[in-house]
Amino acid sequence: MARDRAAGVLVAPGHATVPTTPVYQQRSGFSRWISRHWLDVLMVAPLVIYILVFMFIPVAQSIYLSFVAPRTGELTMANYQNIVARSQFRSAFVNTIGITIMGVAMEMVAGIVIALMLSRAFRGRGLFRSIVLVPLGVPTLVAGAAMLYFVGFNGYLNSFLLNLGIIDVPIYWQQSGPRGMFSIAIADLWKTTPLVVLILLAGLEGIPGDVYEAADVDGADGWRRFWDITIPLLMPSITMALILRVIDAFRIFDIALVLAGQAIPVMSSFVYFDYQSGSLNTAAAAAVILLLMILVFVVAYLLLVARRTEDVR
Amino acid sequence: MSATVARMPEERQPTIPPADPEHQFHWSHIAFWILAIIIGVLLLLPIYVLFKVSVSTLAEATAPRPSFIPREITWANWQRLLSWDIIGSPLQHSLIVAFSTAIAAVLIAAPAAYVISRLPRGPRYFVVLGLLLTRMFPEVIIATPIAANFFAWGLNDTNLGLTMAHLIRTLPLASWILVGTFEVIPRELEEASAVDGSGRIGTLVRVVLPLAAPGIAVAAIFAWLDSWNDLLYAIYLFLTERTLPLITYYYANRGTVTDVATFSIILTIPVLLLTLFLQRWIRSGYLAGAVKG
Repeated sequence: MARDRAAGVLVAPGHATVPTTPVYQQRSGFSRWISRHWLDVLMVAPLVIYILVFMFIPVAQSIYLSFVAPRTGELTMANYQNIVARSQFRSAFVNTIGITIMGVAMEMVAGIVIALMLSRAFRGRGLFRSIVLVPLGVPTLVAGAAMLYFVGFNGYLNSFLLNLGIIDVPIYWQQSGPRGMFSIAIADLWKTTPLVVLILLAGLEGIPGDVYEAADVDGADGWRRFWDITIPLLMPSITMALILRVIDAFRIFDIALVLAGQAIPVMSSFVYFDYQSGSLNTAAAAAVILLLMILVFVVAYLLLVARRTEDVR
Repeated sequence: MSATVARMPEERQPTIPPADPEHQFHWSHIAFWILAIIIGVLLLLPIYVLFKVSVSTLAEATAPRPSFIPREITWANWQRLLSWDIIGSPLQHSLIVAFSTAIAAVLIAAPAAYVISRLPRGPRYFVVLGLLLTRMFPEVIIATPIAANFFAWGLNDTNLGLTMAHLIRTLPLASWILVGTFEVIPRELEEASAVDGSGRIGTLVRVVLPLAAPGIAVAAIFAWLDSWNDLLYAIYLFLTERTLPLITYYYANRGTVTDVATFSIILTIPVLLLTLFLQRWIRSGYLAGAVKG
């Protein structure tokens, strides 16, 4: 065991008892490694091959397709020029970013409020917790379908607002622009808040109680405690929740497709519609732009947050 | 069980002390309860409305200014849609693909996850992080060429094709859950078994596998749910055949509102039951992969 580690060889213990015989020493390094680790290689191979063939090669294929002309196969930027010139693509781009900003902002606020509530002891906490988790048990597609009944012209949201006298005439929610983005963001909020709550709750449990006791001795009130202790100590969980949510909000598909279809395109549904209409290359180009959006966000956020935390230290 | 998966936070003591009872006891307490009730109602409302519409007549469901309380309850929508002619084929596809995905995901991911779990710390974190980073690929960038390839290979509209597609999303998640499962199985157990003269494969089957069984079950259920909920790969690959999410989507596009609600509830029931059952084992990290936006 110890010798294997020293040699830097990846060995599962329990089979490290194979004695090193002179026979091994005569062979080359590679065949010796294989004769020891053939079972490990055999066990990992299916997963590695599957992910390579059905994930990385398709991504590479999409990138390649986005740079070639449909029939001739020459390298070209025409696919990108084509989609950027289309208003449908521009609105998909704007909608995706708008939905992400609205949705994730609401999810983080709702997530922090609910997580703080759940971190207190109160009667009925178990029931409240189960209710909070219910949207997790609903397919994303169904979250979008359910929202159809709320944001429709004759839907429950209009009915509710009319009954309260807040509006006089029903609002058409499913139109492009901020209202449509808001409808989709609300459906996303409902579906994904439980996930944010769980991540933040795990973070809250990790904050030691004596930090709060010290704050109490110093006479900090609830608001000060929240901003000066809870939020800074919760930052790693907030970062994780935020990154996960932004990535998924950029990739939003089911909800937008069910709720608004072509009327309110998002990046993913734009890719699908272009593919469906037979334009594989422009679909691939839009998919590559979506990948870039995600990468730019993740890298920018990590750089900014990493720098900020260094400053604090 | 507790050896393989983290306990839920609910079983720990809350670390934040309740608000000081002498300060503003009354109004803060009442405000807390009002807020809790509002949040609870808002979270349950969409499910309630779906159910309410599914047991309404079409006339009531499409009337302007709908009310939250049903005037008249009818099971006609359920009786009509639950006939085998309508739901039989989509249900068969959904069930076959979900079970195949769950089984194949465990068969492919479990052996690999075991080997990964026995790597030294550094490479192991690197591999696990890599599995998580695959999530940054938008699914459409994978699904578009996959669909083109699968059509060329004649895998469209087949359960095999859809299962293969679902595995793309499921394998990283299942591997991740399973690495966590195997990591906590002590190596000393394997070494003891090896000393007793069991071969490596014998040790794996007799010692490691039984201990990992709960984690494997959790991974399989998540894979099943992932496949059952999927719309994206189904819409790319199934043109003439239907799965349950696909038929729900098509009804949402062109069908009546009562039918969409009924299909939505049918689709939701198994997921809701499994999720509530899994509640104890839901760690925030698992969900990161299980829930898509």
